[in-house]
Amino acid sequence: MQKILIVEDDEKLRNEIEIFLNNNGYKAESLKEFDNTIQDILNINPDLVLLDINLPGADGEYICREVRKQSNVPIIIITSRDNEVDELLSLNYGADHYATKPFNIQILLAKMNSILRRSNMGNVQDKINAQDFIINLSDSTITKGDRKIELTKNELKILKYLTENRNKIVSRENIMNYLWDSESFIDDNTLTVNITRLRNKLEELNLKELLETKRGQGYMLKFEK
Amino acid sequence: MRFSQFLKDKILQISLIMFAIITIEIFLLAYPLENFIKIYILAVIIGLYFISIIVEYLRKKNYYSNIYNLLDELQEKYLITEIIQKPNFVEGKMLKEILEQVNKSMIENVNKYKYLCEDYKEYIEMWIHEIKIPIATSKIIIENNKTKATESIDEELDKVESYIEQALYYARSNTVDKDYYIKKNDIEDIVNECIKKNKKVLIGEKISIKTHDLNLHVNTDSKWILFILNQIVQNCIKYRKMDEQAEIEFFAKQRKENSVLCIKDNGMGIEKGEITRVFEKGFTGTNGRRLNKKSTGIGLYLCKKLCNKLGIGIELESVQNQGTEVRLIFPNSSYISLC
Repeated sequence: MQKILIVEDDEKLRNEIEIFLNNNGYKAESLKEFDNTIQDILNINPDLVLLDINLPGADGEYICREVRKQSNVPIIIITSRDNEVDELLSLNYGADHYATKPFNIQILLAKMNSILRRSNMGNVQDKINAQDFIINLSDSTITKGDRKIELTKNELKILKYLTENRNKIVSRENIMNYLWDSESFIDDNTLTVNITRLRNKLEELNLKELLETKRGQGYMLKFEK
Repeated sequence: MRFSQFLKDKILQISLIMFAIITIEIFLLAYPLENFIKIYILAVIIGLYFISIIVEYLRKKNYYSNIYNLLDELQEKYLITEIIQKPNFVEGKMLKEILEQVNKSMIENVNKYKYLCEDYKEYIEMWIHEIKIPIATSKIIIENNKTKATESIDEELDKVESYIEQALYYARSNTVDKDYYIKKNDIEDIVNECIKKNKKVLIGEKISIKTHDLNLHVNTDSKWILFILNQIVQNCIKYRKMDEQAEIEFFAKQRKENSVLCIKDNGMGIEKGEITRVFEKGFTGTNGRRLNKKSTGIGLYLCKKLCNKLGIGIELESVQNQGTEVRLIFPNSSYISLC
């Protein structure tokens, strides 16, 4: 499990982020004292740091620069300062991303995932093994045995999302939210069309019964019996 | 200054001189002098006095008409003290001195308010940064405890957030200093960011989004543009037609001297007579009143003000019952690209 360190002086906000990250498959820790922040960050040696700019004692930009001198750990700055100059400065000091409060925590989570994926270049995921079939992210196809079917960009995203939430009911709204976060702004009708096409393509691989429609609730990708 | 006015001003002096001449002449008439001498004395006194009046008139007239001319040409009239030449007569010197003192005290007074304004703006900015922390905390608490009720609170928090943002930019729009930072930006990134920001409402209300031809770069401050765009999109959402599939279209055009970003909706549009007034502060229009939409008349006013500060053009075109198109016009100035 990957370790995230939260460096934020607002206690309540810190605790809530910690709970959120722990609920979403990370091991979150946070600093409670800020006297020796730089050394603390280096000692804990996390996989990613969430760093506030306005800290008692040293400010976040200084910490960011000093940590960067000794470590390559990804750093995401979280701040309430909302202007372009601060953002540029932070990025110049070696931060990987800059999120302004109040941030959308889901988008922040997605950003963390992608930064972590990139920083662990060893296990880059370009294939998702979904047991019954394999999704190839690099060339946007699914394969089962020696049969290969091409997917459009949206179909690939929908299938990926359903696979990540396997055996759970996923509402149409959730799917749209996911697609919009990745900048495919499709509407309700287009989603219906995409789902139908995806189902037809799954049928070509004899996997049609996997994608089940739950009336009034959404869709569910089941496992093959 | 006309000569007659000047003479009127000298009326006391002239009448005293006249009186002196008349009494002298009466004395002279009593003495047995030659007529030539009597006339000579009279002529010399009147002639010399007349010359002195003419000289004084010309000197003052030149000086003051010069000041009037300068005043006409000056845009900032209070700077007149700095540029008038030093007068060579005592009243002028006094006037200049008085003007200088008045100016100095005026500048001090203006500075006081400038400082107060700046101070208030700084306070607002600080306050906004502070208030964002509890909002951020609340949003994560909601994320950790999702129920129907908390999700509804979340929607309200989004509104709070957007009002706070408006206040921040309002404070920024009123000061003269530069709070922005111009750099090269991808229009598509800004548009996507804006759509994502309004995702919840757009998906919830089933409003369809079309984006095309957005592959353009503009030199501007992305945060400010995002704010402006956000105000426009919120208007599109607010004034959509309820009986029809709402749609917002984003596209850009590259022209020779500028790049244009268009935001087009198929909403209720604006009455013909009201289009010219939509950028006025506090203007809510028929739509705002009729629909009880809680229009504040601030959104577009602020957009226009911020656009002016950034050097961006903003245009609005609308046909009632068919829709509205707002265009942001970014100049392709080589000066800006140097910054």
